[in-house]
Amino acid sequence: MKPFSLISGLAGAAMLMAAAVPASAETGVTDDTILLAGMTALTGSASNLTRPQIRAAAAVFAEVNDAGGIHGRKIEFIMEDDECLPSKGVGAVKKLLHVHQPFMIVGGGCSNAAIAQKPEIVAAQVPWLILGSTADSLSEPVNPYIFTTYTAAWMEGYAQLQYALDRGAKRIAVVWQSDAWGKARIDPMRKALAAKGIEAVAYEELAPDPTDTTPAVLRVQAQNPDAVIVMLFPKAGIPWLRDAYKIGFKPLTVGPSPMSEVDVIAKGVGTEDALSNFVGLSTVGYTTDAPEVAKWKEIIERRYPDSKFSSWHMVGVAAGQFTVEALRRAGRDLTREKVLNILSTLEMQPDTYAGPLKCTPEDHQCHKTLAAFAIKDGKVSRVGVAVPKR
Amino acid sequence: MSTDPERSGPSGLMALPWLAHLIGRRTIFLAGLAAFAVWPLVFNPYLAYAANLALIYILLAVGLNFIIGFAGQLVFANGALMGIGAYCTGLLMYDGGWPFWLALPAGAILATVIGLLVALPALRLQGLYLALGTVAFTQFALWVFIHWEAVTYGNAGFVLPPVSFEAIGLGKDMGLYYLTLLLVVVFVAMAYRISRSRVGRAFIAVRESEVAAEALAIDLTVYKTVAYGVSALYAGLAGGLFTALLGVVVPESFNLFQIVLQFSMVIIGGLGSIAGAIIGAIALISLQELLRGFQEVQEIAFGALLLLTLLFFPGGIAAALKRWVPGWSETHHQDGGRRP
Repeated sequence: MKPFSLISGLAGAAMLMAAAVPASAETGVTDDTILLAGMTALTGSASNLTRPQIRAAAAVFAEVNDAGGIHGRKIEFIMEDDECLPSKGVGAVKKLLHVHQPFMIVGGGCSNAAIAQKPEIVAAQVPWLILGSTADSLSEPVNPYIFTTYTAAWMEGYAQLQYALDRGAKRIAVVWQSDAWGKARIDPMRKALAAKGIEAVAYEELAPDPTDTTPAVLRVQAQNPDAVIVMLFPKAGIPWLRDAYKIGFKPLTVGPSPMSEVDVIAKGVGTEDALSNFVGLSTVGYTTDAPEVAKWKEIIERRYPDSKFSSWHMVGVAAGQFTVEALRRAGRDLTREKVLNILSTLEMQPDTYAGPLKCTPEDHQCHKTLAAFAIKDGKVSRVGVAVPKR
Repeated sequence: MSTDPERSGPSGLMALPWLAHLIGRRTIFLAGLAAFAVWPLVFNPYLAYAANLALIYILLAVGLNFIIGFAGQLVFANGALMGIGAYCTGLLMYDGGWPFWLALPAGAILATVIGLLVALPALRLQGLYLALGTVAFTQFALWVFIHWEAVTYGNAGFVLPPVSFEAIGLGKDMGLYYLTLLLVVVFVAMAYRISRSRVGRAFIAVRESEVAAEALAIDLTVYKTVAYGVSALYAGLAGGLFTALLGVVVPESFNLFQIVLQFSMVIIGGLGSIAGAIIGAIALISLQELLRGFQEVQEIAFGALLLLTLLFFPGGIAAALKRWVPGWSETHHQDGGRRP
């Protein structure tokens, strides 16, 4: 090649490269795309709870894209599997942050993995909207980069206790499962009881996947509680309710969000009668067949034909809508700093929650209104809401 | 030119000693070391993290190879010993306020002591019974990690205080990477020294025939116990580094999958081969990262790799290297159960 043609070729290539450089200098943002990323358990035992969340957030972004995007930009959303394990989670988030380099993270399904991921995200100074991890230490004390649209661990216990007290319960028993999820709830529950001057009549610990809970039920029954607060996943909660029904023990039982799909719980137990005095508190505000969320049911089941619309999807929808609202308000000139400022004062009503999502500079736990569901006249109904306060 | 066929590589290449010298084991090791040394300077922090993880698993695989590959003891305790090293290092930092550089060796020493204690009952067991006994130990350790909440913080685990390398002007990730690399170099060199020493030869004698070893005045109890202790030292040290890398300590990191992973590394790399253990660790961590997001495929790929190794290369990658790479040899390699 002649020297002149080499120089002109290089100059031409440089001009082309310069033209290809996006107008925005912000990481993860180009002229026509915003790159968002999320990590959660896409496989493994917890994925039946976490995958719907992230898929629903992805569905919200896809719907926004179909409607023209945000200020002329389409959202690209990539997901990494962390299997709910810290040992896999750190690698997953490092890959997202340093290989894909997103504008913002919308993810995090399990607390242990998210706790390990937190230092990486904070060090990278990337906005992180937590999808479904509940550990209080993730969002308390306030971190400028971290927000959550899910129920924090302390809230559920406080709300469960308040619900029982509001219905006149005096003798309270607490049943919890012996894993990270359960432990993240039992300590706040003890504090909530102490704050109200109540001594629980029984604390009963269950394995996360027990086959027979009869001895535990009998021990609790012997204390004659008015209300039992269960902090269990369905794997433990269903055997508990089944064994309690079997021996005729039917006090007011207040379940956590994983047990809020009371019709599913009833199927697992085998009879709706076992749930006649049971309510499940839920992060989400509606049942899956409620007309208010019919639009999202159709969207999710159309986009993911292998999925049945569930409350986990509703959690993802809320997170997705909150993200979109923040990006929209940030305008065309999108920066992380701007989005962080907007998130810290953002208030909006998502389609799937009973109350608004509201962040303040002092409180990044943006979701506070839990709904209570029960089976009434053979139908799942919302029977109230609970707003936990410390 | 060497006349030892094991040291000469494939017969067709014996006429090319310069080639054997050029691409022999030492050259490959030096090239690998150089690659690891520049890796975090060249690649992004995610790839540096993956390389750091591979280095930690090299320690684990080399350590496990001592007890399984060299001493011939079918032991599955190293997942638990790694956990003990991790918990001890983490708790000394978290509760005791110890600096990492003190907590790390303390964790390794505790794991070694417990490894020696495990050896005492295990010395009475052999083969399948030994395997079952040590799997039971791993499960028991996991149970303790989960249920001894007052000490271990149970299932939720705990977050490690930040490990700092500011004194040498490095950030946490970079400092930990080069510390791990340094320890790998030292401990792999130590492994080579041991394997070629009287102790290493005694391990091999025990592996090949305990009766013959005793006839040669090799004290089975002493040498088996030493093998357990050395293996535990590597596992404990790796556990401490693993904890520092993740920044959290939770029991689920030390479950049965940890045993399967380490065992696969040694089998695929080649029993009784230090080079094989190193290559096995790098191969499986690379595979794990390449298949990230395809958990089901990952499990199938691991299973298929194990099956293929057992069917076609019972001696693992080390056997293939010995067969195909000029100048490649390893005195104590166990070629698929056949005498080396």
